[in-house]
Amino acid sequence: MSTLEVNKITPVSGGTTVQVGESGDTINIPAGATIANAGTSTGFGDSLRPNVSPIIINGNCAVAQRGTSVTGKTSTGIYTVDRMSAVIGSIGTYTIAQEAQTSGNAFANGFANAWRIDCTSADASPGASDQLEMQYTFEGQDLQVFKKGTANAEKYTLAFWVKSNKTGTGNIQLKDKDNSNRQCTQSYTISSADTWEHKVCVFGADTTGAMDDDNNKSLIINWWLGSGTDYSSGTANHGVWEAQDNTKVNDGGTLNINDNTANDWSITGIQLEVGEYTSSSLPPFQHESFGDNLQRCLRYFEKTYEVGTAPGTATGTGIIRSGGNQGGRTSGRMGDSTTYVVGKRAAPTVVFFDSSGNSGVMSRVDQGSSSSTNQNATLANGSSKSFEVTSTGTSTGDVMNYHFTADAEL
Amino acid sequence: MIIETVKKVNNEFGNFANIYLVNSIYNVPKDEANTDYQNILEWVADGNTIQEAD
Repeated sequence: MSTLEVNKITPVSGGTTVQVGESGDTINIPAGATIANAGTSTGFGDSLRPNVSPIIINGNCAVAQRGTSVTGKTSTGIYTVDRMSAVIGSIGTYTIAQEAQTSGNAFANGFANAWRIDCTSADASPGASDQLEMQYTFEGQDLQVFKKGTANAEKYTLAFWVKSNKTGTGNIQLKDKDNSNRQCTQSYTISSADTWEHKVCVFGADTTGAMDDDNNKSLIINWWLGSGTDYSSGTANHGVWEAQDNTKVNDGGTLNINDNTANDWSITGIQLEVGEYTSSSLPPFQHESFGDNLQRCLRYFEKTYEVGTAPGTATGTGIIRSGGNQGGRTSGRMGDSTTYVVGKRAAPTVVFFDSSGNSGVMSRVDQGSSSSTNQNATLANGSSKSFEVTSTGTSTGDVMNYHFTADAEL
Repeated sequence: MIIETVKKVNNEFGNFANIYLVNSIYNVPKDEANTDYQNILEWVADGNTIQEAD
């Protein structure tokens, strides 16, 4: 091997580019050597958001405050994994679960949990307006880095691990709620059944329509899993932002998880990056600690129960024991206030539970004597930071015992 | 949440507490950024009626 010793390599006169090697060559940087970059580098997997938390909250599906599995679902909701919603519109019945991983490609890449949907009552002939999706939503103030609606607008790269018993084409829709539901669609292919595959999808930059810089819903990601013809009769324009046209969003989608009770679909490692990346240039998934991940989820949902205990469970563990009536025992009104662990996106919807797991009520305790469940519980002065609770229940006591959930989801 | 009933909630002084009780379980603050409150507004726009507080 010959050695070239120079201090500087410059393009030939009139040129601006220096090429090293040819396509297919390998350029080796020896161990211990350093590449120092004082300019702009591209294509090295650099993130435009270095050293900050990932844009997608709970993308590794580790946090599931509401529970780990629910059955019989026929309507829309966030049922298990935080921030991940099942959109179910008259298209069958489903089990939604946080699926623990112990093997497979996703597990081998550091993902121990996934969001999973199983069809338990099929609808093989959905009505035209029926729909089935997995959905993630963003606040507009968290997406300003995409510079949407400006001349400097950035592309969106969405990466994720996916597994299904079905092979075929799945569609993804970005939906801009701030600008008349402008949309951009992209598709991916599941090549092998029951095998975790990593997908990288690029969506175009949009110079039209800035997203609001506030705490409301600005952008939605829909992973289409099945639909009627209202969502599939058009011709998709993949990767290009355009005015709302529902007929295009699931054009060519063949997954149809709704068409057989043998069907399932799972996702994890969900990652959204600013700019365009390929599978080889994509920045690594930013694995947060469970605690950091949970802390971000609490902005949208909080509960008094232990992390692994579903709301409505009959337990005293974690229950709030409030002073209630400082004046002593009473069969009349008691009241107190509670501050949330994390301030919420908005004043949340609150549900109270008594120690037996009954919802919409609390327990009134006569200390050292008795505890009565199913007692009135009423919210007052609810804000994003705290709430007051009163009880006008009839049971004599001097302490209020209650669990609560606080939901400020988008 | 599928809304079936909505009732106003009064505070201890008998004034509207800016809270709506939905389906006798969900305490929904009158906050325009709360999606359940947004759904209540749509529910009313569809012709449904909010009950007065007890």
